[in-house]
Amino acid sequence: MQLGTLALLLTQTANVLSQTALLFFLGVGLTLIFGIMRVVNFAHGTIYMLGAYIGYSLARVTGSFWVALIVAPIIVGAVGVAFEAGILRRLYGRDGSAFLMVTFGLALILGDVVQIGWGASALRVAVPDLLSGVVLLLGEPFPDYRLFLAGFGVVMAIAIWQVLERTRFGLLIRATSQNPEMARALGTDVQLIRSGVFGVGCGLAALGGVLASPLVTASLGMAASMIIDAFVIVIIGGMGSFVGSLIGAFLVAFVQVFGNFYLPELAIAFIYLIMLLVLIVRPGGLLGKED
Amino acid sequence: MGAWRGLILVVAVLALAPLGLPPYMMTLLTEALILGLFAMSLDLMVGYTRLVSFGHAAAYGFGAYCSGWLLINTDLSLPSAVFVAAIASGVLAIGVAWVCTRSTGVSFSMLTLAFAQLLYAITFRWTSVTGGSDGLAGIPRRPGPFGLTALTSKTGFYFFVLGLLVAAFLLCRQLVNSPFGAVLRGIRENEAKTLALGYNTRAYKIAVVALSYALGGLAGALYAPFAGFANSELLFWLLSGQVLIMVIVGGAGTLIGPILGAAFFMFAQHQLSSYTESWAIYFGMLFIFFVLFVPRGIWGSVAARLRRPAADGR
Amino acid sequence: MSITPKTKRRNLIAPAEPKTQRLLNRRKVLTGMAAGAVTLSMGPAFLRRASAATGPIKIGMPLALTGPIGIVGQQIKRSCELWAKMKNASGGLLGQKIELVVEDTGGNPAACVRKTQQMVDRDGVRIITGIVFSSEALALAPKLKEWNTIFMSSSNGDGRLTADALVPNFFRPNTSGPMGARTVSLHLRQSKSNKIAALGLDYAWGHNSVQVFEEEMKRAKKNFVGKLFAPTGTKDYATYIAKLKDLDADAVFLVLQGDDNNAFLSQAKQFRLGEKMELLTEIVDLDSIRAVGDASLGLMGSSRYSFTYNHPKNKEFVALWQKEYNNVPDTFEGESWQTMAVLEAGILKAKSIDAEPLRAALETVELESVKGKLTMRKCDHQAVQQGFMVKVVKREGFSHPVPDVVAVYPGDVTTPRCNKTSYDD
Repeated sequence: MQLGTLALLLTQTANVLSQTALLFFLGVGLTLIFGIMRVVNFAHGTIYMLGAYIGYSLARVTGSFWVALIVAPIIVGAVGVAFEAGILRRLYGRDGSAFLMVTFGLALILGDVVQIGWGASALRVAVPDLLSGVVLLLGEPFPDYRLFLAGFGVVMAIAIWQVLERTRFGLLIRATSQNPEMARALGTDVQLIRSGVFGVGCGLAALGGVLASPLVTASLGMAASMIIDAFVIVIIGGMGSFVGSLIGAFLVAFVQVFGNFYLPELAIAFIYLIMLLVLIVRPGGLLGKED
Repeated sequence: MGAWRGLILVVAVLALAPLGLPPYMMTLLTEALILGLFAMSLDLMVGYTRLVSFGHAAAYGFGAYCSGWLLINTDLSLPSAVFVAAIASGVLAIGVAWVCTRSTGVSFSMLTLAFAQLLYAITFRWTSVTGGSDGLAGIPRRPGPFGLTALTSKTGFYFFVLGLLVAAFLLCRQLVNSPFGAVLRGIRENEAKTLALGYNTRAYKIAVVALSYALGGLAGALYAPFAGFANSELLFWLLSGQVLIMVIVGGAGTLIGPILGAAFFMFAQHQLSSYTESWAIYFGMLFIFFVLFVPRGIWGSVAARLRRPAADGR
Repeated sequence: MSITPKTKRRNLIAPAEPKTQRLLNRRKVLTGMAAGAVTLSMGPAFLRRASAATGPIKIGMPLALTGPIGIVGQQIKRSCELWAKMKNASGGLLGQKIELVVEDTGGNPAACVRKTQQMVDRDGVRIITGIVFSSEALALAPKLKEWNTIFMSSSNGDGRLTADALVPNFFRPNTSGPMGARTVSLHLRQSKSNKIAALGLDYAWGHNSVQVFEEEMKRAKKNFVGKLFAPTGTKDYATYIAKLKDLDADAVFLVLQGDDNNAFLSQAKQFRLGEKMELLTEIVDLDSIRAVGDASLGLMGSSRYSFTYNHPKNKEFVALWQKEYNNVPDTFEGESWQTMAVLEAGILKAKSIDAEPLRAALETVELESVKGKLTMRKCDHQAVQQGFMVKVVKREGFSHPVPDVVAVYPGDVTTPRCNKTSYDD
């Protein structure tokens, strides 16, 4: 039986939402890091992959996906903080190309560390038992896990937004993002903010990696296939803009789900066309400011 | 003049290389020179005008596909196809630059990236012309014009590449030392001020992007008949990132530096990957080492060292 | 859809310029330079050639050992290493030791060509094998004549390598993509499934196999309802799964590999796609089965090699493998083993590793291998061999599902017409 139009539309919309959630975790980390440090983090895709692999091992050892979901981002966040403190910190004031090189270098190193540590084969991460079922959307089975992703994405987006808007840490982040000198003059420990944000950004990417692993397995190809999407999201939304990364993630997910369905011939070009159009109309991205 | 003597010496050594080096080293050297030309072309934008392109692979890949397509589908000779491809890249660049130079800073970088990726996607899709995911294979080095066959052999092709690199270097050097170059440096240091002085900075920027793409396209146009194939990886963002790293490793704003950086990058990767499967780790560490301890790049540091004793002696 | 322009084909098989002419050009360029220097540069080259003739048999392996498909390169390496070890333990071939020259290409055609050039020039390699990507193989093929080197494929599935893009020094002892598509088609002829769809990766291999399959389905009078192509590196297959459901197919033919294959199978299971339609794949391998676990259960497809095939030669090989690696051999490990067996037979027959006699000998190789009877075909250098249909099942003693051979088709029906990628009946 062919799918009813409504069932199809509903399924596809749910797909867009679950995919938006995954892309958002990647994009928001990248955009926060850029907003605070003006660093384009080329290692972001590799960090996401590292999260998936560490999550795999944690889930295996503890037998719980949920432990992996919480602990892996913390471990990867710590790696991020160490990298910021050990290397990036010496480079503030240098131009963007220095950051390009060190983050590119980090991507190469971590990519190889993963291959040495976990091997070249893709590794299976099972969907947690609690979410391995399906719900019926107008008669069509839809995985619980994807609904969870969409819901979790909404919860996390609200949480991050509230942290940025309501807490002192959020205030300091926004202040540092807008004017680091002023923030420093007002007594903010800018150094600490930078370490913190880099760690949080990496942790969020790792969270995305753990969440994606039951869909795509933990594999060495994860990094390359994700980094360019993350860039596009951040560029479309405006570098440094939280809401922008949310919109960017939605747009990319929308194009990937509906574009591939109705206009498969254009699918790979579509996302770049959108990016180009946005940049031509608004050079700083939808919600970014041009610098 | 010292600089001229140095240049002549280096070119002479390179010209004699086919006598002393085994064939496989000549292959490596030829590829290094092609990449050197590519990196040097980017230096015009990055080092002299601070237009940091994240999409320079577009020039290289476009040039490679153009010359590859011409050599396969027309009777054009090797030199003609290469030059046509270089000019075509420059023309393409005028359109790209017209759009990209509306923005500055990171936005400029991102726009160049977007263009390159779009070109990548088109190449992947437009199978009838580009060969799609296979790319173009079996690209010949067609002899001529006037029955000239010297350039088609391995050694002849090496001299062709070397000659073009030297010519391009002299052209760029002349350019950056001219009043035009002074305006570019003005844009690099303070665009608003340069604009206020009455220079149409955007026109200058479009011109330098066009030249940079033409030379990058020339490098790509040489690569296709060198390797015998052209595929979509030549347009991928990864190559754009790598060539930017070559420029920085060698020393941006020096022209010579990026050539050295490209050679260094290629030899290091080639050798390291022969010794160990974990070459990427060492390569990554090397990048970080360079940023921390050789911030001015290879040639930037050497030049600073050379200049200092001379200044003291005066 | 035409994949390559006509002129390209001509160029692919056009002879490289004669050697004498190259030497002449070289001399032209050297005019005015000291003649002594010429001997200086030629000297070492002659010495290397001489040593290559009496030294060990060097086999060049420019492999993609790192990167997303690094696992395929690793498999080929393991298999060839075991083969070389066994041969060397019994005195080598033609009284010479075997030496493998392994280099990592990272899957990049440019690096592949560069490193192979180095193996040929510096190490005196005259036989290469193990190239993983079709893009690498297509880049190397036109150079083989100039290098005077034989290329033994062990994993290249692109149908055109033994058709339009064939060069004289290329040999394919392994199963090609069209042969896999054919095997699945033969299985479907006997199946009740009538509405058939296909999903392939959006590059040459995917298009090639899907095209062969579509023609097969039309000849079998099946209702071919549609074909989809996903870009390599697709992470979310939900939209393709929705489309397959929308097409309302009874069976879908999959031409996916690596990460894409794993992502699709995992997500198809989560969407319960298998309850709606039969999933048939062009290539079943253990690595994917391990990566997706139970999500692969019930999957059917053609297998280029399965350790479960019941044949004395295969049992012997699997036992040897288990002893060495404490594991069962995977697809490309079996395929490489077969390729090395063909190479060995060719070398012994030619009593030489020089390209000319070796090529003539390889063209007539016939043997029993781990996959049963194999006959090398002179006209297009494709090995005529059996096709295997497998089903992924649980089996005692294994921590993961295994592919069980459910049907074997003889070589004369699975192998395409000479120099073609299509079939007659």
